[in-house]
Amino acid sequence: MYSDLYKGGVFISNPYPIDDVGIKKTTLPNKVILPLNERMTEKATPCVKVGDLVLTGQVIASNDDFNSVPIHATVSGQVTAIDDHLIPHKSGFKTQCITIQSDGKDEWVKDENSTKDYWKYPQSLLIEKIHYAGIVGMGGAGFPTHIKLGLSQNCSTIIVNGTECEPGIMCDDALMQNYPSQVIKGVEILLHICGAERAIIAIENDKPDAYNSLLINNNNDRISIAHVPTKYTSGSEKLLTKTILDKEIPSGDFAIDVGIVCLNVATVKAIFDIIIEGKPLVSRIVTVTGSGVSKPYNYEARLGSSFEDIVSLSSPNKLKHDVRMGGMMMGIDVPSTDVPISKTCNCIFINNRVAKDTARECIRCGSCNQACPVGLLPQQLYWYSKSEKTDKAVEYSLFDCIECACCSYVCPSNIPLVEYFSFAKALHRNTSEEKRKANIARERFEYREFRLERNKTERAQMMEAKKKAIKEKMAKEKSQKDKITKAMERVNTNKKNKINE
Amino acid sequence: MNSGELNTSQVMRQVIYALGLGVGASFYFFGWGVLIQIVLGIVTALVSESVFLSFRGLPVKPTIADGSAILTAILLAISIPTMAPWWIIVVGVTFAIIFGKQIYGGLGNNPFNPAMLGYAFLLISYPLQMTTWGSDYVNIEQSINAIFNISSVDILTGATKLDEVKMQISLGTHIENLDIYSLSQSWINAGFLVGGLYLLIRKIIYWQIPTAFILGIFATAGLLFLIDDNIYLPPQLHLMLGASMLGAFFIATDPVSSSTTPKGRLIYGFLIGMLVVIIRVFGGYPDGVAFAVLLINIAVPLIDSYTKPKVFGK
Ligand code: SF4
Ligand code: SF4
Repeated sequence: MYSDLYKGGVFISNPYPIDDVGIKKTTLPNKVILPLNERMTEKATPCVKVGDLVLTGQVIASNDDFNSVPIHATVSGQVTAIDDHLIPHKSGFKTQCITIQSDGKDEWVKDENSTKDYWKYPQSLLIEKIHYAGIVGMGGAGFPTHIKLGLSQNCSTIIVNGTECEPGIMCDDALMQNYPSQVIKGVEILLHICGAERAIIAIENDKPDAYNSLLINNNNDRISIAHVPTKYTSGSEKLLTKTILDKEIPSGDFAIDVGIVCLNVATVKAIFDIIIEGKPLVSRIVTVTGSGVSKPYNYEARLGSSFEDIVSLSSPNKLKHDVRMGGMMMGIDVPSTDVPISKTCNCIFINNRVAKDTARECIRCGSCNQACPVGLLPQQLYWYSKSEKTDKAVEYSLFDCIECACCSYVCPSNIPLVEYFSFAKALHRNTSEEKRKANIARERFEYREFRLERNKTERAQMMEAKKKAIKEKMAKEKSQKDKITKAMERVNTNKKNKINE
Repeated sequence: MNSGELNTSQVMRQVIYALGLGVGASFYFFGWGVLIQIVLGIVTALVSESVFLSFRGLPVKPTIADGSAILTAILLAISIPTMAPWWIIVVGVTFAIIFGKQIYGGLGNNPFNPAMLGYAFLLISYPLQMTTWGSDYVNIEQSINAIFNISSVDILTGATKLDEVKMQISLGTHIENLDIYSLSQSWINAGFLVGGLYLLIRKIIYWQIPTAFILGIFATAGLLFLIDDNIYLPPQLHLMLGASMLGAFFIATDPVSSSTTPKGRLIYGFLIGMLVVIIRVFGGYPDGVAFAVLLINIAVPLIDSYTKPKVFGK
């Protein structure tokens, strides 16, 4: 059992606990909707047309960008549409999706090159296969796993994150209880890929069943299973590393920078599925919970099936609901249950709609900075975010905020602090970008001014010179004229004199 | 989101409850005055805040409901002499609410502790009324008469105990001979101490400010006492006289105007404690809590910016 090695965080028990944490396999959905850019990265290009027949696990869209992963059909059937659809994302935007009508047969693509004997294959080949399988971090961040693994050569330790990211979510617990041997095998594959000496699977101490089932299945002495305190935000990569290894990852760095690879258990299971079974990532385990359902449970659902498909299995009540993807702390609100399940959708919260308590002024009580696991001063950040003095907020380490919402959770004035912070971050990025642009523009402008000014002075000098020349010329001419007139006068007087004589 | 912990108005309410014991002690020794002042103060606070808010066209109800105006009124009412004329508390609370809080945009934005700003204003403007303390129990009828100036009452004798001590010392009385263990003062302070401990246990206030405040008083007074125990009071006496405990647990801990970082709270509390003694001993005023708090309020932004906690990974 590891002790509590970082300050802050909050202790919250599962608000909707259930007795047996199991998994229900759902029936095949009638249709699936698969977004082409789930992570708002480069959009994938479809390689199928409307009307095409596809098999489960077949790549239907991809792009050359190494940072993104291909998209697979998650049922077998026919492509019926490629059009815009609402997806569960903060932005609330619609994005292009491929819709597949299931034929009910669930026929899979064949695994051409089996890697069952994974230890015989070079790391790069396995990583490529993981890339092909479309595996991303399934704990919520959605970072492509092949990139992480590509950077992980010769790292020392693998941490497998089996701590549920947030109170209320049970999908990882269920996965460890139901697929313990697959998880252990997955970790062994990882040990091979990363060349790490050891792997530690971290489980919160309120999940004894998951702990025990992994323990029973583990015969590898390079793999250990660790109990960590059930404290919210322990699941964050940095804080988990601190808890387990007492290592503090420097601000701005990632675990990988200190030789540690941190992966979620569901990701590890997905790696098992592709390397051993040859199956790309087409489904995941999702917890459905909240005050609006009477039977919270975990479901193994095909990606792209709608929220509604599995929410309906949890006996929702007839009231009006707020739908949230992810946990109560870090999740995002989505407008309805008519959105597709994505790879990072670990949980769906269905809450009865209640009147929101209004936010009051900050009384600087300091509860928030006691709760902040990163050691920030949310009250000061709030002050500067609210007044849009983002430079000051950055001075107070705004960008070290992991947006865990512990501060919002404890605030007696009910201030949605974390929302201010993500806003301030965006604002700061924008303004610095704008500032940069403005600087360039100003430089340009200044140069132009300078040029204009220079032209002006040059012109003025030229004019001056010309004027002078003309004047001189005129003066010269005048003196000549004078000379002439004088001479004429002289001639005239001479003439006169002569006449007079 | 709600953590099930106390919200702002519940916090204020707890603080008000915690004042009960100290107020009770004051009632026991000096009679009805303190209660009348509290009632007057609360009524004034509610009226002045509502009027100000409606002038600015702001909603009145949520602000009143946060309970902070009531708390300000109570703190001021128990700080002034129990038999002060009624308009003292009315003027003081109005000043505290409007110039101490609302003018900065309301609760959360005020740099100074509103109650202490009101107190300082009263002390400077009406020194006579603010330093004339009753020294005996006064019943309800007499209290009303005195406070509302209905008939002249001859109970208004004496200065504060602290003043008395000061005066006797200047007259050459040796410390040992002073009847300084003034029962009433000690009991009132003890009342606030217990109330304060309750707040600490309920985690409504943080330990840093009261602890450092008491330490500041003790260290400074102790140092002076070591220098010359003929002129200076022993430090433990400083703790049980005047507004020491009220200051340590209820006034200096006002979250809005105090330092907000854990280390900063220690510095903040200690500096106030130190100043309290210095003002009491060397200043011309009977008690130093109000001025000490206000002075250190000014230093809060500085203290905060120098005591940022360590950020993870930095
Ligand atoms: S918890 Fe809320 S009220 Fe308290 S200091 Fe933080 S932001 Fe302000
Ligand atoms: S959201 Fe940010 S500021 Fe708030 S507790 Fe989490 S890390 Fe700290």
